[in-house]
Amino acid sequence: MIRIFKNIFLLFVTALFFNTTVSGKELTVCAECGYKSIKSALKVCEDGDKILVKKGYYRENNIVIDKSISISGEDNPVIDLEFNNQGFVIRKDNVTVSGLEIRNINVSYVKDLSAIKIENSSWCRIENNFLFNTFFAVYLSNSDNCTVKNNKITGFAQTESSSGNGIHLWKCRNILIENNETSGHRDGIYFEFVTNTRIINNNSHNNLRYGLHFMFSDSNSYRKNLFRENGAGVAVMYTKNIVMEDNTFIENWGPASYGILLKDISRSIIRRNRFIKNTIGIFMEGSDKMNIEENEFRDNGYAVKIFGNCSYDTLVRNNFIGNTFDISTNSSRNENFYSGNYWDKYKGYDMDKDNTGDVPYRPVSLYSMLVEKVPESIIMLRSFITEIIDLTEKAIPVFIPESLVDEKPKMIRNEYN
Amino acid sequence: MIIIFSILLFFFSCSSESEPINYGTDQCDHCRMTIMDKKFGAEIITKKGKAVKFDALECMINYQLENKINESDVDKYYCVDYSEPAKLKDAKEMTYLVSPKIKSPMGENISAYSGKNTAEKSLNDFGGEIFNWEGIKNRLKNNK
Repeated sequence: MIRIFKNIFLLFVTALFFNTTVSGKELTVCAECGYKSIKSALKVCEDGDKILVKKGYYRENNIVIDKSISISGEDNPVIDLEFNNQGFVIRKDNVTVSGLEIRNINVSYVKDLSAIKIENSSWCRIENNFLFNTFFAVYLSNSDNCTVKNNKITGFAQTESSSGNGIHLWKCRNILIENNETSGHRDGIYFEFVTNTRIINNNSHNNLRYGLHFMFSDSNSYRKNLFRENGAGVAVMYTKNIVMEDNTFIENWGPASYGILLKDISRSIIRRNRFIKNTIGIFMEGSDKMNIEENEFRDNGYAVKIFGNCSYDTLVRNNFIGNTFDISTNSSRNENFYSGNYWDKYKGYDMDKDNTGDVPYRPVSLYSMLVEKVPESIIMLRSFITEIIDLTEKAIPVFIPESLVDEKPKMIRNEYN
Repeated sequence: MIIIFSILLFFFSCSSESEPINYGTDQCDHCRMTIMDKKFGAEIITKKGKAVKFDALECMINYQLENKINESDVDKYYCVDYSEPAKLKDAKEMTYLVSPKIKSPMGENISAYSGKNTAEKSLNDFGGEIFNWEGIKNRLKNNK
């Protein structure tokens, strides 16, 4: 009996599936066609139809899609909002918007006006679009299983209050964000209450605040992304279970600027990333059970700044090269584990030739702790007196956290596959 | 001369006036985020005259709940009026609206109003629930 019910149910599901994917008719929009505007084509189309927008210039806004259709552009048609309303508002499942150029979104202090907005929908795709002069660009609200891929998003945000986010996700699940380029927004990519989402191969640069910003978003991953010259780098806060792999964080300079800012995050992995020329490579506060391994820290002001309230973090097999300070902390306690890192400042020896130094290395210098307490003392950087201070402290450690030590420092750089 | 100067210095150092938030550059002392949104923001002036800045009211209250500052060290609490961007007002005298339609920077959906009528107008426009200073503090305390 149960089996029969199951079969009937399956039949229903497949029927539903075919009903929505069966290809319907195609409507063409262009200046000489039957449909002169996207809105007029939208009025007559039905679920499963396809709207083809030919090359041209369309002055339209507030295009609400409440049917499961696909809209695609041929030879990059331009949709100019002329600073009115929003662009596309998707309120139905299985909608595709691709190949369009959408420009001139108005700045609003009350509404989150965006080029493409998806509300309460599933299985939508935003692909190959060029979004130009945007406030918010792609905005997903309470949606799931959507894809945002191959879009180029360019904003011209000047001031903090007149800026929105490039790709903004609020309360979403199972989203794929791949191969997008965002610049000139408040945050390039913004997550709030988002789970099980992948961010792959994006390029987020020259945004006012963060290249990527996570808040209250558990179980997400970001891989192979490039974050360059953002006002404050990348922030991952109030979350757990995040995987960050093979990303590059480069040239995030400023008084409050970080490669990654980690605040109240736990049980996450930071692996094989490159931190190059940032004021602070990784800044950690209130973060625990983090695996930080096989990363390269090169030419940063501080490679890792780790506050006293971080515990059970492991830093293993990383390369520290050319940083002013390798590790800095504000506490004399240490509850984190360091091993097998390569430190270019290590001056030990290797008698047994196993590529591991025979004397332990203490990566925190007394001078860096002094700078932490009295920021003005940075003026003494690279002076003879600081060399002496550090040397004496290394010989007889008194102030630096005694257990903050790498027992097995590498003599040669760690190689990663 | 020295006496006059030191008296002047004394008055300056003890001023409980709010210090304007530099949006886009100042960092929240609780969550470390760069403060961006002029509709939100808060500030504690300590008895020593130091300004502790926040990107949202929820950060100011959580900062205190996590014992980063004692109630006895606080001279004054300030909060930004939602309807008057970037203006800091006396937080104890303000009315607070919790509405899912208004998204504040740290996810608690709180907006603050110095006038009761502007708060009620917002309540009409967006819906939600209205609190006073003690009420909003208790709400955040219970949410933790």
